[in-house]
Amino acid sequence: MEMKRRMGFIERGTEFLKLKRDHLAKELTASIEVLKGRRSLLLENLRMAYRAVTAAYISLGPTEVRSQASSIKSRLELEVLPRSVMGVRYPFIKVEKEPQIAGELDITLSEAAEKVLAILKEIIQLAEFEARAERIADELGKTNRKVNALENTIIPGYKQIIKFIEDKLDEEGLEELVRMKLIGGALARRRE
Amino acid sequence: MSPGLTYVVVKGHAMMADLLTPERMRALAERESLEGFVEQLANTPYGRISIEAEGDLSIALEKVFYQKFIERMMAIVDLAPTKIGDFLQSYYYLRFEVINLKRIIRGKFSGLPTTQIVESLIPIVPYSVGSYENLASKETFAEAIRLLDGTPYASLVGRLELSDKYDAIWPIEIALNHLYASAVFKSLEELPQADRGLVKRIVQAEADVENFLVAAKQRSARESAHDPEEMFPATYGIGLDKLREAIRSEDIRKVIRELDWPYIDILAPLYTGDVALIRSRLRQHIYSISRKGRAENDFGFNVIMAYLVFSEIEKDDLVGIGWGITQGIAPEDILKYLAIPNVE
Repeated sequence: MEMKRRMGFIERGTEFLKLKRDHLAKELTASIEVLKGRRSLLLENLRMAYRAVTAAYISLGPTEVRSQASSIKSRLELEVLPRSVMGVRYPFIKVEKEPQIAGELDITLSEAAEKVLAILKEIIQLAEFEARAERIADELGKTNRKVNALENTIIPGYKQIIKFIEDKLDEEGLEELVRMKLIGGALARRRE
Repeated sequence: MSPGLTYVVVKGHAMMADLLTPERMRALAERESLEGFVEQLANTPYGRISIEAEGDLSIALEKVFYQKFIERMMAIVDLAPTKIGDFLQSYYYLRFEVINLKRIIRGKFSGLPTTQIVESLIPIVPYSVGSYENLASKETFAEAIRLLDGTPYASLVGRLELSDKYDAIWPIEIALNHLYASAVFKSLEELPQADRGLVKRIVQAEADVENFLVAAKQRSARESAHDPEEMFPATYGIGLDKLREAIRSEDIRKVIRELDWPYIDILAPLYTGDVALIRSRLRQHIYSISRKGRAENDFGFNVIMAYLVFSEIEKDDLVGIGWGITQGIAPEDILKYLAIPNVE
């Protein structure tokens, strides 16, 4: 009985794990689609930012670009916080402080700076998204292995043990019946 | 004492032969290695240049080209007759000094070491201040500004309060821009009437395009935009109304399309956000009008102005090529932003 109760518990757990697996698989498929799109967009934006920086250097000269760039007052400050989806923890990156320009930038450089800052934010978001997808994939792998182990090893094992116990009990019950019949027959013969 | 306009004009004519042709400039930009570039440059009046292997090669090249330009400029400006000399000194020496002062202020603001700040300066003799090293060696940028009291930059001291309020150096930089602009316009008005034409066209085209670019930049910060009258102390072909419209309009294309030539062509790259191309087109335009100006009067001030304009644009193009080659940028991407090879 204890075994059957445990078996029921394991089967319910397996169902939950299957549900989790399906949900994670759905999340992962959606994440991969988004990642693909974001990655190609990021590459395109990177190209544009690179072109803007190149143009600023050619137009202003390296010393002027460096001098103007030195008027950046504060650096990009980030905070990494934990978040969770279906129990899967992943890093969430919060931009605490954006770089501030204290000087009067030339428009070529300010355009380039804007593009680079936007790219930095995109890279941060993409890194966060990639880490999330990676963790989901890891968890999906783990859940899948658990479900497989439960479905292919543990549950059949339990079923086998239960069947063995049931067979044994049936066998013992039959033996008992035969024994009782034999005893009953012997007693009837003695009475005669 | 000036040896007279004729001498300077003749000298200008003679020096003109040393300038690089569009073909030579193109050939330099098409070199794929620094060695090839230096080799190609050796066949020009620049001769074989030697650059230190240590440090940033593009900056070393930039210094070489600046040095050459300053030599050329001094050979003309220092000999020019009084009124013309005054204008050229404001236009060149003051401009370079303003650039140097900005570099010192930025360097002090960001805590760069004095040696690094001094190395970043354009190698000119100070024009209106005692010594750049003295300014750069001050503890803070505010102390450096206070040292300017008693010079033509004394008004910057009054901007320190605003700078302190915003913890920024842009109030000082804007004040420096205004100081330079008013000095140039004042000396321009004092030029003999006959010599004003070309210079006016150049200075006005520069001011108009720069004003429009500042207005375009303000579009993204419309709420914090300064008062247009304060921002644009001098306007010419692009009036204050148009600049206001550029700041406020949703569609900058419409504003550009309504401008007159040459601005409609020069500013067109703003449609695609390629602002560096605007500078290249402005340089091409200035190169063209200088060439035309020289053709109109081959024995007057126009020759001097054209020579200086060609020299400076050559310097700017060579600095761009030098940087592009050291960074491994494709020749077509470098050529796109150059002025001389693209002049029609």
